[in-house]
Amino acid sequence: MIQDQAREDIAFIRRAIEEGGAYASAGSPDMLVWGIAAALGYLGTYGFIRGWSPLPPGPLWAACIGLPWLFSLRRLFRRLIGSGIGGAVRGPMAQALSMLWLGCGVFLTTLSIAAMWTGEARSGWFNPVVAGVLGIAFFASASLSNLPWLRWIAIGWWIGELAVFALRHQPEALPLAAVLMLVLLAGPGLVLLQRRARRAT
Amino acid sequence: MTDFDHAAIDEILHSRVRLAIVAFLAGARTADFSAVRAATKTTDGNASIHLRKLEDAGYIAVQKHFVARRPQTLYSLTERGRRALLAYVAHLENLLPKSGGTQP
Repeated sequence: MIQDQAREDIAFIRRAIEEGGAYASAGSPDMLVWGIAAALGYLGTYGFIRGWSPLPPGPLWAACIGLPWLFSLRRLFRRLIGSGIGGAVRGPMAQALSMLWLGCGVFLTTLSIAAMWTGEARSGWFNPVVAGVLGIAFFASASLSNLPWLRWIAIGWWIGELAVFALRHQPEALPLAAVLMLVLLAGPGLVLLQRRARRAT
Repeated sequence: MTDFDHAAIDEILHSRVRLAIVAFLAGARTADFSAVRAATKTTDGNASIHLRKLEDAGYIAVQKHFVARRPQTLYSLTERGRRALLAYVAHLENLLPKSGGTQP
């Protein structure tokens, strides 16, 4: 039947476009690593406040921010030691995405250091800012990588931003932020990673 | 009898491999050769032939770079290629009942 063939062709085109979008969003392992690390940071901080963990938030966050940075900068390190030469060239959109996420990462890292240094991190405004910035990053990524479903992740972050803001004076904002990191950062990273693995096989 | 019009089919995109390349590039915007080959699940030679046909038709643009003295080729969809894909999808949608359409 011609109609069945047309339906099949349209589904085929849609899948190919989605695969292209997943290819463009090459930063998915970074999303997974950052999502898990930040969630551990929030949960560890909550555990310390509740007296369940002896590890103070300062060293904990130094590890939870420093280690993902080392992971994200692995390509730069590889290039510096020469082993990255001859790797796949990333397209302009993948580069634009990298720059977008790098910019957000630098902004959030410097702001978190400043907020922890001055003690402002305890006043409650910082976590909603993190959620809002991640919402912006996902919203822009949806367009750059041609993956419209990432817009829903952005909306999730902005709803999360309001929820974290509502809880800003309560320690329960921390586990909520951890859940947001796992569901809305590590989660999309895992989905994109699985799609990339499927494309490679 | 159906209202299927063979003459309206874009012969360039009627090939499954070329359709896959164009659709993949519509999503990726720009991709290197290995990504295109992996997306279309074909061989180097076959991918090269279809990419050349798409380039000759003006549907894709090719940029060649040298990275550490090794050639790297990047492919991207041209405006003409994008219009052709949209027209192809519109043609497919015309074959379906009015509900259940799609837009790439």
